[in-house]
Amino acid sequence: MYGFEAMTFNIHGGYLEAIVRGYRAGLLTAADYNNLCQCETLDDIKMHLSATEYGPYLQNEPSPLHTTTIVEKCTLKLVDEYKHMLCQATEPLSTFLEYITYGHMIDNVVLIVTGTLHERDVQELLEKCHPLGMFDSIATLAVAQNMRELYRLVLVDTPLAPYFSECITSEDLDDMNIEIMRNTLYKAYLEDFYKFCQKLGGATAEIMSDLLAFEADRRAVNITINSIGTELTRDDRRKLYSNFGLLYPYGHEELAVCEDIDQVRGVMEKYPPYQSIFSKLSYGESQMLDKAFYEEEFHYGVFFAYMRLREQEIRNLMWISECVAQNQKSRVHDSVVFIF
Amino acid sequence: MMEDQEEKGNAENGIGRQKQVKDEYLLQFLDSLDGYLTLLDSLSSTLSQGWLELASARHAMGASRINGALLDLKVHAAATSLKVSEQDVDSMESQPCFTLCKWASSDNGERSSGEEKSLSPQLRHRNNSQLSGIISSPQRQKSLSVFGVLVSPKLRSAQLSFERALETLVEIANLHTTMLSMFEQVHKELENTNG
Repeated sequence: MYGFEAMTFNIHGGYLEAIVRGYRAGLLTAADYNNLCQCETLDDIKMHLSATEYGPYLQNEPSPLHTTTIVEKCTLKLVDEYKHMLCQATEPLSTFLEYITYGHMIDNVVLIVTGTLHERDVQELLEKCHPLGMFDSIATLAVAQNMRELYRLVLVDTPLAPYFSECITSEDLDDMNIEIMRNTLYKAYLEDFYKFCQKLGGATAEIMSDLLAFEADRRAVNITINSIGTELTRDDRRKLYSNFGLLYPYGHEELAVCEDIDQVRGVMEKYPPYQSIFSKLSYGESQMLDKAFYEEEFHYGVFFAYMRLREQEIRNLMWISECVAQNQKSRVHDSVVFIF
Repeated sequence: MMEDQEEKGNAENGIGRQKQVKDEYLLQFLDSLDGYLTLLDSLSSTLSQGWLELASARHAMGASRINGALLDLKVHAAATSLKVSEQDVDSMESQPCFTLCKWASSDNGERSSGEEKSLSPQLRHRNNSQLSGIISSPQRQKSLSVFGVLVSPKLRSAQLSFERALETLVEIANLHTTMLSMFEQVHKELENTNG
């Protein structure tokens, strides 16, 4: 079915595939989550996490802990692992690994631009940026007044440059333009990543097609739900959907006209993989990501899957910490996604 | 003799009326105290709900999209304001009365006292008449736009919760002044009785 990856993959990718499979073994288990969900304070959470791979990152944090501190330190671990993989990778794996971070880069660009529009200090904004999405000239974003300047002064030398072709206008930046820019950039990035994976071919193309298609479909649902009742028209909404995925193109046509969550549910239930989407969306995604580790070897999908699973784990820890800090432990299972 | 009995009757009626008035003040005081405690409890649960919904929105949208660094520091008119007026209670004293003016816009130097004004559209408008009240107010959407235009429904719910909490706070303030006023009345009546 695929190419002869088994013969050649390990020459350049074998070491890192072994590394990432080792990293995957360090993901929190259901038993870890059960212990964490029973914690009474954030210090209890820190104590439980000290027995996991997050231990070294949290051990020097003084009490009282804050939920943002827990998230920051756990994110640092992910960043360290990613950087280790990136510095050991050769082409095309290094480009593949860089693609994984472009989403964070887009989020950081939008954060800086939005914060500057609201007259916030650049240093304060830089501290809130995701470390995986940083680039050298990011602070210069604060001087741009419109998207043309944004592109010309800063983004032309970044990997996001090709995604800007549909965004460049001379209109001054405002909340609406920034939102459209965010979604247009992300759409272009996903489609570019998809094409790159298709070019790689073999098992990577096969597995990444499914994973990125799910990402595109999830994005379409989010855009639909978040735009219900806003001033975004049907045409504008449709323009933000990616041009691939299981829902493309007929599902997108139906989603574009949805006015409430029930209509969205009705559209999604026509697609068998998404029939139980509202009850198990996140869990379904985690299962799909984890499958990438077990079902095939010798492909780059394991790296993408690992990064996504770690990010989900960090979101779980954030939610558990918030519920514990706010004394709302009964709500902890609302949003925790058990990966195993 | 008859006059004595009449005077005695009048005195008893007077005492009865006084007692009735005292009981009335006492009942009003206890009612306002009960309402005050109920509202405090309601405020606590509304705020808890709001904070959890905010955390849920941050979980859904990401910490980079919902954080304090995005709040707008530009000088702009307050979306909601509090009006304090004096209300005559019994022509002898007045007590402050608090009124919340929600989503009052003073963009053009006019106060709209909570009436909704439409914003100049950045995109083509849709017909919002079919939409629920939760998301149809332009001012409500505008105040959330610091976090982006396409925000999670959880963030909108959090906004509503904090709005409700603000209304409850104003009710608490009004009830508090009523309660203090009733307490003064009861105290005065007791002093008159003992005096």
